[in-house]
Amino acid sequence: MKRTCIPAIIVLVLSLIVAVGSQTFLGACVHEDGSFGACHWACRAILGEGALLAALAVLALVLKRERAGLYLAMIPASALGLLTPGALIALCKMPTMRCRMLTRPAMTILFALALLAALVGWLLSRRGEK
Amino acid sequence: MGRAHLPVKNLLRKPGRTAALVLLTALLAASVFGGSVVVGSLRRGLESLEARLGADIIVMPAEAESKVSFKNLLLQGTTGAFYMDASVLDAVRGAQGVEIAAPQTFLASLKADCCAIKVQIIGIDPGADFTVKPWIEESYSRGLGDMEVAVGCKVTAGVGETLKIYEQYTHVVAKLAETGTGLDTAVYCNMDTMKKLLAAAEAKGVTHRLTSGSDVISAVYVKVKDGADPAQVNNWLNGHIRKVTAVRARSMFTDVSDSLSGIARAARVLIGAVWALALVILLVAFAMMIRERRREFAVLRLLGVSRRGLRDEILAETALCGLAGALIGVGVAALGVFPFTTLIETQIGLPYLTPAPGTLLTLAGGTVLATLAVGLLAGAWAAARLSRTDPGATLREGA
Repeated sequence: MKRTCIPAIIVLVLSLIVAVGSQTFLGACVHEDGSFGACHWACRAILGEGALLAALAVLALVLKRERAGLYLAMIPASALGLLTPGALIALCKMPTMRCRMLTRPAMTILFALALLAALVGWLLSRRGEK
Repeated sequence: MGRAHLPVKNLLRKPGRTAALVLLTALLAASVFGGSVVVGSLRRGLESLEARLGADIIVMPAEAESKVSFKNLLLQGTTGAFYMDASVLDAVRGAQGVEIAAPQTFLASLKADCCAIKVQIIGIDPGADFTVKPWIEESYSRGLGDMEVAVGCKVTAGVGETLKIYEQYTHVVAKLAETGTGLDTAVYCNMDTMKKLLAAAEAKGVTHRLTSGSDVISAVYVKVKDGADPAQVNNWLNGHIRKVTAVRARSMFTDVSDSLSGIARAARVLIGAVWALALVILLVAFAMMIRERRREFAVLRLLGVSRRGLRDEILAETALCGLAGALIGVGVAALGVFPFTTLIETQIGLPYLTPAPGTLLTLAGGTVLATLAVGLLAGAWAAARLSRTDPGATLREGA
């Protein structure tokens, strides 16, 4: 397997965890009265961002010549995911709420790792092109 | 190329083998650092709770199911409301051996402004209180006035903001220091404010389940006189005051301390097992690595590298792998523990307060050194085995 493929595989795995996790084991809670807050919509946005990252990772695996550019596109996509819970879309205010104690830290770590992997992938791909 | 770069070149030449060794040492470091931080946080949490509750005895209504719901209220911030007639306070104060008796009244809000969760409201008597008041005074020394509240560090409202409880507007005057317990999610007010909130709660249909119509309190915190036996005072209170339960605070701490000891013991056993396993795997891995590379080492020996030089070469490789693994392991454990502090605290259900930065740095440094030492031990053992083989024979048998 080519070395430049490894970061794409890592991003694919991370983005799948993000997408599935945001709606299941890492997702926000539903309030006691059945309603949901802004954190619910933050998780919906994260689902979209995870799917986008996954699509970019699959394309990077398939399209060898465009790989460096696709890795470059993954960097702002990961940054967007990093900023979504809390900064772009508000979460619950109490630190003991599920979205604050689980969703946000988990998504921050996952998107930060994806960003790092994308950066490494871009550097490796660029070196390969030279 | 000088021999100084040989260990780095060797490690980079076989990335799979290097990655496996680094991963193994990272596992070691992560288990030690992560486990130590969690156990350290639990210990600090218990110390913090003991410091906050200086009471010898806590008197509460018999309906409070003695310690169970009360313990949850303190440790996990579970909302609860149980009441007894305020005349219990006078009865407690009249008991022999009681130095100070301070009342507290609890009320669970229906819903905080921000989220769909209830917040515990605790009314204190600033004149008599000796448990919460010193803690509040660390952040606010003027004393809680009418409709003024102090909030735990995990309550969203900040100083200067208004908190609406049962349609009553209260003014936040202080945000309290973290304790790692359920006290962090509570709101504190004086008894006059509490009476208004209780009346507002009644208006909303939340009853106190008391029909006497007189003032109500939820608990009395008792400090016994010097020389008095807390056990005797506790027995007297249980025997002479009807419909209440007196619980010694120490017994509550002992329960928590027992749970903590159990967790600490399990963590120690787990960490020990991981270390023993990792040490065995490292020894086997190094033995296999040396066996695989014996021709390479034999050539080096025939080229004039001394036994000592060869040992240094192996130890340098081990040290590099160990250092990288230890740093990665500590980093991974930090990522797995620190962002999820609140989650761990909620799941464990015990007081949890992260150690001070200095302690954390010491723990991290100690973990790196210990991991490095184990790696070097395995490397030294492999090097000692290698030094006993004859390079000429090795090359001949491999030809």
